[in-house]
Amino acid sequence: MTVKDLLNPHPVTITLEETFGGALKILLERHIRALPVLDSAGIYRGMFYLYDLWELLLPKAATLEGANVTDLSFMPGSLEELREKTLAAGPRSVIEFLKDKEAPAIHPETSVKEAILMLYHHDGVLPVVEKKTRRFLGILTPWEILNRLHDKE
Amino acid sequence: MHSESAAAHVIFGWSAAWVSSLIFVAVYVMVITEKLNRAILALLGAGLMILAGVLTQEAAIRGVDFNTIGLLLGMMVIVGITGKCGVFQYVAIWSAKKVKARPIGVLFMLSIVTAFLSALLDNVTTVLLIVPVTLLITEELKVKPYPYLLSEILFSNIGGTATLIGDPPNIMIGSAVGLTFNDFVFNLTPVILIVMGATLIPIYFLWRRDLTATEAAMNRVMKFNEREAITDPRLLKQSLAVLAAVITGFILAHALNIQPATIAMFGAAALLLLDNFHRDAEEQAKSVHHAFSEVEWVTLMFFLGLFILVHGLESSGVIAKMARELLAATGGDRNVTVIAVLWGSAILSAFIDNIPFVATMIPLIKSMAPAFGGDEALLPLWWALSLGACLGGNGTLIGASANLVVAGMAERAGQPIRFLAYLKSSFLLMILSILLSHLYLWVRFL
Repeated sequence: MTVKDLLNPHPVTITLEETFGGALKILLERHIRALPVLDSAGIYRGMFYLYDLWELLLPKAATLEGANVTDLSFMPGSLEELREKTLAAGPRSVIEFLKDKEAPAIHPETSVKEAILMLYHHDGVLPVVEKKTRRFLGILTPWEILNRLHDKE
Repeated sequence: MHSESAAAHVIFGWSAAWVSSLIFVAVYVMVITEKLNRAILALLGAGLMILAGVLTQEAAIRGVDFNTIGLLLGMMVIVGITGKCGVFQYVAIWSAKKVKARPIGVLFMLSIVTAFLSALLDNVTTVLLIVPVTLLITEELKVKPYPYLLSEILFSNIGGTATLIGDPPNIMIGSAVGLTFNDFVFNLTPVILIVMGATLIPIYFLWRRDLTATEAAMNRVMKFNEREAITDPRLLKQSLAVLAAVITGFILAHALNIQPATIAMFGAAALLLLDNFHRDAEEQAKSVHHAFSEVEWVTLMFFLGLFILVHGLESSGVIAKMARELLAATGGDRNVTVIAVLWGSAILSAFIDNIPFVATMIPLIKSMAPAFGGDEALLPLWWALSLGACLGGNGTLIGASANLVVAGMAERAGQPIRFLAYLKSSFLLMILSILLSHLYLWVRFL
């Protein structure tokens, strides 16, 4: 079995023109954690994660690689302050939030075990793209795999 | 020394001096270009010294200063474990609140805290602990972190110069010459305190206008609860007790006739015991593995290779020849040599790694003892080498490992420190510190 047999071909996606605020609204309305970002030709350009919101709300040093900040209990914070930060970032383009460190794309030919290994490491949403063109084909999440496992029972 | 080389058979019958110089210079140039990791290069060079017949394996092992390696390893383990309990964040936040979170006051306090910690810990470790808290504080104050990071670079190198354990060159000098923790405190700490005070003055005039924060921003920092930064009070007590015992050990080392490596390694073992005796076997394995994974093995392997490389030069007579040349250049005058070593070390250390430089200079200076009338007469040269090599690291962004670590973190935080921008302010501050050291050495020793 390969990813081709499991993927969700019709997930919610956004385009490069989407704003941070608009993307957050979709995540909230759909109760999902990630949105594939496509350009006008349907090519996959990256993933917008709820994780990006957490990164925005935290002090920079807390998310800095190598800074080893594992505890922020000494820093008080109010919901109002966090709301202000979220609102201020609203008009920013989603492009600013697309990073290399996110889960790599997989292909329809990827084996199911390889896909599970990637989910094990990334615990998120894996974009499925055509190998050569990176044309977006769908996503693979833990739910697609769980559903198929449940079907067989 | 020469007998070790003579015992080996140099490849193709070439001169041991030429082969060892060739290997040494090749490694040095490659280290400067930074194309390959310095530990790989030093170990490769060390291997070549043996394979080319300059040294036998036994001679190479004799060249390694295990006192330096043991001291570094022990302190790295102790600091790695201590860092987990949040004590350094506590100190940084406490110091910022002591000045009511006023930006210029915070700049001064964090600089002084950095210097103090650097005197007791490795410089890289110090900045790794202080920079994240600095970024947290400056983000809350809504001020540019640049002056703070720049100042922390400067003070980590300045503070590290003050003690035997503050900076690797001092560890190497102390170990090779038999200088104690107290020798460094009595002879270097006074001038470092002067350099600290003198460096803060231009820093104040450079940045005072840029560093302003609103009352609301300062209040946010004042609301930080430093007590909450302590994540493991039990570990805190254990770590501080071991750290205090280790420092006391360093102070009493000479009287007790114990080498610093023994003290540091014993302290590391004691802290590992305290941190692990209540855990089961599996947890202990994980915890000890983690403690050792925090050790900077790249640095230690670099040292290992470097000692062998320098020993190759030494045993083939190159170092003695270099010493004769240096003596000829300074007219055999000790005072001129002291000043030449101070300024030469400072300028070179601003551009090249001070560790290989000091490793080369140690046998070179040692071999000058007969010319100057014995080991006692060399003391000012050791202080000049330490001051030049450690403070010189402040001259450029690539002058010391701590500089590069801060620059890397600043870059990732979106606050890059540019080479030229850093050079403009720091090179003059470095020259100021060397000028003060020059005066100090002149008044006290020459």
